Amino acid sequence: MRSVGRWLRTPLLSTAAFAAALLAAPVSADQAGPPPPPPPAAPARAATPARYAPPRLANGKPDLQGIWQVRNTANWSLQAHGGSYKTPAGLGVVVDPPDGSIPYRPEALAIKQKNWASREAEDPLEKCYLAGVPRTMYLPYPLQILQTETEVAIVSEYVHTWRWIPLTPLERYPGYESWMGDPRGWWDGDTLVIETVGHNDQTWFDHAGNFHSDALTVVERLTRTAADVITYEATMTDSKVFTRPWTIRMPLYLHRDMDRILENECYIYAEEAGKPIRGQHPNE
Amino acid sequence: MALAALAVAAHLRAQEPIPQPRTSGGCPVESRAFYECAMAKAKTFKAPRTAEGRPDFQGYWRSRNNGIAYDVEPGSGSFSVPPTAGEIIDPADKKIPYQPWALAKRNELRTKGFEDPQGHCAPSGAPRKNNTLFGWRIIQPKGYVTFLYESMHDYRIIPTDGRKHLPPSIKMWHGDPIGHWDGDTLVVDYTNLNGKHWFDMSGNFQSENIHVVERYTMFTPDTILFVATIDDSTLYTRPWTLAFSLERNKEPGYYQLEYACHEGERDLQHFTDDTRQVGR
Repeated sequence: MRSVGRWLRTPLLSTAAFAAALLAAPVSADQAGPPPPPPPAAPARAATPARYAPPRLANGKPDLQGIWQVRNTANWSLQAHGGSYKTPAGLGVVVDPPDGSIPYRPEALAIKQKNWASREAEDPLEKCYLAGVPRTMYLPYPLQILQTETEVAIVSEYVHTWRWIPLTPLERYPGYESWMGDPRGWWDGDTLVIETVGHNDQTWFDHAGNFHSDALTVVERLTRTAADVITYEATMTDSKVFTRPWTIRMPLYLHRDMDRILENECYIYAEEAGKPIRGQHPNE
Repeated sequence: MALAALAVAAHLRAQEPIPQPRTSGGCPVESRAFYECAMAKAKTFKAPRTAEGRPDFQGYWRSRNNGIAYDVEPGSGSFSVPPTAGEIIDPADKKIPYQPWALAKRNELRTKGFEDPQGHCAPSGAPRKNNTLFGWRIIQPKGYVTFLYESMHDYRIIPTDGRKHLPPSIKMWHGDPIGHWDGDTLVVDYTNLNGKHWFDMSGNFQSENIHVVERYTMFTPDTILFVATIDDSTLYTRPWTLAFSLERNKEPGYYQLEYACHEGERDLQHFTDDTRQVGR
């Protein structure tokens, strides 16, 4: 309350100053001295308190159905970035670590930098490959969520991708490795939680070359926080590549101008344009 | 010599018809007899219901279709295509009623199996997606029937809320499926297909004027009669209809794993002309 009062008593404090104050917090945490307290949640990025009453299914669980899409540049880079050729600038969506960085192991950071240098050819999306998880959720294309009391389907326009998420217990398939992973879902209060394992090491998190290994676990949290908003959060754990788990957060916005998703047949369009995308034969 | 004999034996085996169960849902599998039998059983069968009061089709399904993934017509087989019984129930001769020029084109395409769009990982369209050798999951969220196919992670989202089709200027690989319930039968009206699909691996083809009406009627707890009527006056002399059985997959613990297609493709350039001029 006191801090709110302080803001209120400072009529000249601009939004920029407010943002600067927030950005200053992690810097001070790096300074010598006693261990700092846990950083406060960044107000500008925090999930909206769950006061919104979402529509519900007959079993009382929130109804997340609709056609959704992000309005950000996470597909180009999850981290704050300036603009460059075919890449719009973006504020970044990493909320933990608080400084917005991805906590790479040193040897992994070198791979990310190599990916960055070759991104125009090597980004899996440039080859029209499946986007993987979580990238499929923040592509600049629509996706549709369909839902019953026992299962959820997330269907994307991009290369006709579906994710099927059972909400009932189902054993994992041992040794499974795939582009889109093997998801299981459950409700944590009004939040749909999806835990996905079984990833291959071929997908990237973004066009900037941020990557993972086949040891990746992704835990996503989807909360309908307003009539037109799902607050989407994903925490990545992969001890082969990262020093600690890290989290992204962003809103998914409801399309009110679409009553059905259409299609985006990337590799077929490439072939029709006379630029077929072919894999290399192992004998060549 | 022994090697040659083995090769001949393998060749002969490949030319034998695909083994098929003799019945499905208690009905013979020959297409016309299957259709008559399933329709008769459906008259007295009461399907399980969803919360919306509609027949509950949810779960895993697979088709029993006498090999029409290879050829919708009865055929004696050709390169990589085994002999098939066909599943056309109308016309009675089980042949697609092509106009003469279209039949000539089909016969030419039949020699270019490498041009089958499905072989290039394209979505399969209607009704071919149900001709898959793989299965699919049906879920029924309120206002929808949704099919999630294993093969090439394809899908159909079929709204049953009475909405209208997209304008004809939009042509898509997936088309625009709109559903409604005719009693206990799910009717799916397909328009807006881009006309680039084949019906099978044998060159039977479509145009962008194609209109497909699919009908799904459950006649036992584990069997659905699938009927598709295809109309395209620019290719065929009259509409034609095929029918086959969909059977519930009751394998305990079964769920669909990923069938990525384009990502793992490593050989297509050896069949098509885009790198080596093979085949043309």
